[in-house]
Amino acid sequence: MQILPLFIAIPMGAAFVLAMLLKARHSVVDILANVVTAVLLALSITLIMTKGTITYEMGRWAPPLGIVLVLDGLTVLMLLIVNLIAFLATIFSISYMERFTAKAKFYSMFMLMLTGLNGVILTGDIFNMFVFLEIASIASYVLVAFGTEDEELEASFKYMVISSVGGLFILLSIALLYAMTGTLNMAHLSQIISSQKSGIGFLFTAALMITGFAIKAAIVPFHAWLPDAHPSAPSPVSAMLSGVFIKTLGIYAMMRVLVNVIGISILGRAWGIMLVLGAVSMVIGALLGLGQKDYKRLLAYSSVSQVGYIILAFGLGTPLGYLAALFHLTNHAVFKALMFFNAGAVEYATGTRDLEKMGGLSEKMPVTGITSVVGTLSISGVPPFNGFWSKLLIIIACIQAGRFSYAVIAILVSVLTLAYFLKVQRLAFFGKIKETLSNIKEVPVPMRVSLIVLAVLCLVIGLDAFRIVQGMDSSWLVRVLLNPAKEVLVNGTGYVSSILPK
Amino acid sequence: MMLIYVLCMILFAIGIYGIVVKKNLVKIIISFCILDYAVNLFFILIGYKKDGIAPIMMPGQDKAQFVAQTVDPLPQALVLTSIVIGLGITILMVAIAIRLYDKYGTFDVMKMRKLKG
Amino acid sequence: MSILFYSVFLPILGGLICLLIPGRIKIVKEIIALLSSYAALVLGILIFRSGSAVFVKDLGFLTGFLKIDLDLRADSLNSFIVLFIALFGFLITLYSLKLMPGKERSNEYYAYLLFNVGAATGAVLSNNLLMMLVFWDIVLLCLFGMLSTGGMKAASGSAKKSFIIIATADFLMLLGILLVWYMTGTFRIDVITKTPFAGDLKLGAVAFLLLACGALAKAGSMPFHTWIPDAATEAPVSVMAFLPAAVDKLLGIYLLARIVLNLFAMVPWLGIILMFIGAFTIIAAVMMALVQHNMKRLLSYHAVSQVGYMILGIGTGNPVGIAGGLFHMLNHTIYKSCLFMGSGAVEQKTGTTDLEKLGGLSKTMPVTFFAMLVAALSISGVPPFNGFVSKWMIYQGVIQFAGSPATGGAMSFLSWLFLVAAMLGSALTLASFMKLIYSAFLGQPVNEPEGSTPVKEVGWTMWVPMLVLAVLCIVFGVFAQIPLRGLIGPAVQLKFPGVPEALRLSGLWSPTLATVLIFAGLIIGYIIYAAGKGTRPRTDVSYIGGEAPRGDINRFPGTDFYNTVREMKGLSGIYRAAEKKYLDFYEWGIGFLKAIGHILFYCVDRFVDWLVVGVGRLARFFSWILREVHIGALPTYLAWCLIGFGIILYVLVR
Repeated sequence: MQILPLFIAIPMGAAFVLAMLLKARHSVVDILANVVTAVLLALSITLIMTKGTITYEMGRWAPPLGIVLVLDGLTVLMLLIVNLIAFLATIFSISYMERFTAKAKFYSMFMLMLTGLNGVILTGDIFNMFVFLEIASIASYVLVAFGTEDEELEASFKYMVISSVGGLFILLSIALLYAMTGTLNMAHLSQIISSQKSGIGFLFTAALMITGFAIKAAIVPFHAWLPDAHPSAPSPVSAMLSGVFIKTLGIYAMMRVLVNVIGISILGRAWGIMLVLGAVSMVIGALLGLGQKDYKRLLAYSSVSQVGYIILAFGLGTPLGYLAALFHLTNHAVFKALMFFNAGAVEYATGTRDLEKMGGLSEKMPVTGITSVVGTLSISGVPPFNGFWSKLLIIIACIQAGRFSYAVIAILVSVLTLAYFLKVQRLAFFGKIKETLSNIKEVPVPMRVSLIVLAVLCLVIGLDAFRIVQGMDSSWLVRVLLNPAKEVLVNGTGYVSSILPK
Repeated sequence: MMLIYVLCMILFAIGIYGIVVKKNLVKIIISFCILDYAVNLFFILIGYKKDGIAPIMMPGQDKAQFVAQTVDPLPQALVLTSIVIGLGITILMVAIAIRLYDKYGTFDVMKMRKLKG
Repeated sequence: MSILFYSVFLPILGGLICLLIPGRIKIVKEIIALLSSYAALVLGILIFRSGSAVFVKDLGFLTGFLKIDLDLRADSLNSFIVLFIALFGFLITLYSLKLMPGKERSNEYYAYLLFNVGAATGAVLSNNLLMMLVFWDIVLLCLFGMLSTGGMKAASGSAKKSFIIIATADFLMLLGILLVWYMTGTFRIDVITKTPFAGDLKLGAVAFLLLACGALAKAGSMPFHTWIPDAATEAPVSVMAFLPAAVDKLLGIYLLARIVLNLFAMVPWLGIILMFIGAFTIIAAVMMALVQHNMKRLLSYHAVSQVGYMILGIGTGNPVGIAGGLFHMLNHTIYKSCLFMGSGAVEQKTGTTDLEKLGGLSKTMPVTFFAMLVAALSISGVPPFNGFVSKWMIYQGVIQFAGSPATGGAMSFLSWLFLVAAMLGSALTLASFMKLIYSAFLGQPVNEPEGSTPVKEVGWTMWVPMLVLAVLCIVFGVFAQIPLRGLIGPAVQLKFPGVPEALRLSGLWSPTLATVLIFAGLIIGYIIYAAGKGTRPRTDVSYIGGEAPRGDINRFPGTDFYNTVREMKGLSGIYRAAEKKYLDFYEWGIGFLKAIGHILFYCVDRFVDWLVVGVGRLARFFSWILREVHIGALPTYLAWCLIGFGIILYVLVR
């Protein structure tokens, strides 16, 4: 399938081209960047109908020696999410990034980050995954520091140190895996690992892996960089970081490596630690969100909390749990991107992120106000918006797996979530407008487009998911995207057979 | 042989110690580099073979003998990549550390605490 | 059968018209409200007469897409509840004509009222669980709207509180419904009834409890009760008479009965949980009622307490108990609405519901007094009024439950305990209503300030509903077999076919005979009283050393009831000593109970309230702690990562 390398080649090429266009007019840069992301989105949409697993051998080196790009159900889902959010983020950036001087540099870094994300998703080679992971990470360090104010630099530095240590943990675990198996191709690895008996070596490797990916995914207690870094980045980048970055680098990579390569059966009962990590993240993230005054920082903590949901569902290890995790991952990408765009729009219009300095913004910014209500309802799990269905599936999955206490925690955190997002609504959008804000205007059209598209998506996915009451497969999203993705995880280390034909 | 691994791990531990305990940005960066070197060293050691030869196959060399003698070339390739990545991160860290010094007038990371809570 | 459709949407249409009519032409609005509620009543009667009816309407997109259809089905359980919803809707509309005009925002009031009638009917009739929830939440929204029409500043606060508590419970109910769907693959009650799901008992129990949460919150049982007393003091009294006392009880208990009768096969331990909630609610709420001084607040605690009986009855899971629970629900709506209406009448005429500021109203408001007295005796379970019959049936249900072989020793012991609690609760109810009746209607009249208009009886639109309800109390008590056969029996037959024979109250009690006996007793008592009239001590204006009597000092407010009891006239000297001892003991006992009441009030009721507020505070406190921990220092964050790695490593390698 010749299309696969394009997901890496196009944004990487664009990154270098954009880097050379520093002196070009902004409109040229805007058009180029948007065309690139639009093409990538179109390409990923064409992949939806792909059946089964498709591989592409880089440089025609056959696996397990060469590097392969792999397309399976999970990959399609992730590619679609990443490129969709990236496209909307570039549209949003057209107006939003005007006030920064180096727009071309911004897009260049953005494309590099996108390269990394797509690469992590597609690659079938574990060291290659690490390389793409670091490409995406380095691009994100730059983007976090993009404003070059003291807080942004500080956030970037902390983020960089913690995240790089996480990267080194992953690298060390890859080295150990190589030492034990002598291969780097993920399918081949999984084949060899399943033929060996599990020893302490694999467990130690798994611990390193989990830690490394948990740092990238910002799971409590590895989360401390996230509330600094995500708010400091420009809003479109925050949306990318919270919406897809932590999910691709953290959750997707963790799922892929733990489920498909190492195999969770090796971990045995210790796999339950994922449940604990998830629950702790949910609760602590939500509690921290409750006390925030800074709009974007609150959203960042809420990401920690929502990632907890995904990890919890993932940790259940049941098919329904996987499905719920992937569903929530999709939904969270949509509504968290929406909310960061909202925060960006508010910051763009008012020049502040402090919730207490806002008030009554709905009056002047109806589009932002309404879309933020949609986001709030979605993230708090109010039907019929999408967040409700994924949370419901998570709760059902918990009950089905006999984890009643986790189901209760999930419900309680959902209430907490509603509480702190209602606070945002009340402080920022409802009530009477402050006199200092009487001159603000609604944001420009490109930003509004991104907001509306995402809000509509929240509703459409929610309505589509409503059809699961007629059976899981009645819902288009579940049938076409989530189920194939789930099958990949359920299949576990059976992954190998589809890539290494024997 | 084992000793090298142990030393490598000690290097790793030193890196971890430095990065967690040191408050000075420059020392943190140096500790990170040590950590990076430790992991790279470990990678190289995996491919290391006592009295091994360079993995370049000369014309006329016996294939089986070559495979038996040569060190594993793959980790070396990987380490090259890894070093480049480490270099990139280090450069970025240093650049940002300089900028931070401009803003805060200090290298003390404990004084850079505008973001908290 | 389109009468089902009309019975749901006619009131809603009427409500819409009321909402659209500008507030100035009040009379048109009132006529429309009255007409549409009357129409609803007629339709309710028709539905009840027909007994069973089906109305299915495909909602096109919604049905294909979301599996929601308008599937209304009347059966023997819900048709009589529809009848009563319509009846109360009509009576309250009638009653509100005079009460509402003075209040602010009264133009929304009739709309909410009619929406409520329609939505409640829809919720009860719906055969589709999701559709039921939709109607159910319309009722909630109307409750929110109606409570906030109170106009007082605090009213919106209590409205918000009610909303949050019930909305949380509704969310749980939604989860329950979806669990039921998950297990059975359908939302249709009739299908679920036919194919009771086997298999995952744990999941079933969770679904049962989640649904029960929704039902209990609507009915206002503990621990979801705190909104009722708070709302009571601030909302218009007709709202209280209509919603928490009548419609919400009907809905909540209907759902509880539905899930017990139709949806789930009851296991004894689930029954015990329900019965425990019931018994606890009875005792705790009545204790709190004992120490209230505000009439509306006192009534609302009783509204909570009486729910306990219904839950206790339904929790037994046997025909007599369920029938008793349903009958008690019916009776309770009747007498509690009557009591609330009475307190509304008192409030309208005197301007207060504070018992300490009331007294002697029996002379000026005789009809209200009569209606309240009958209702008070009913709620206290005094024969021959209706409250007695239903309580009696509930006791029998509990006894049967305790004696049935399915319940083991511990469960049997517990249910005996519940029985004792229920009986004690009944006695305490009587005590607190003696206080209410005495201090408001008997005792010394309040000294009118100069120039105020004297208290009069309320207008006919207000006393007619009260009187109707009071008469219903007597009719349902004396001729209890009529409602039991006509209304309750068929409903219970849904689960226990051929049961009406068992419903016949076992031997000991025949309402008609008992009534004759009681009246005979009363007549004999009167004869004795008349015979002894000559020996009545002389009464005179109290002598206080020559000064002019000053009412505000010398008046004995009715809350000093127990002191007054001691000074009851007409008791001869021979009995005085004995009476004194008795009274001392009584005082001692009452004091003790009051103390418990206070403790419960502060430890349970206010505690739950505090919990709702407190959980918020606690969350913010933890949030504060966690934020303090995030000090912004890189080394600390890195240390957390290492500790996390250590933990993961330990767990994995262990």
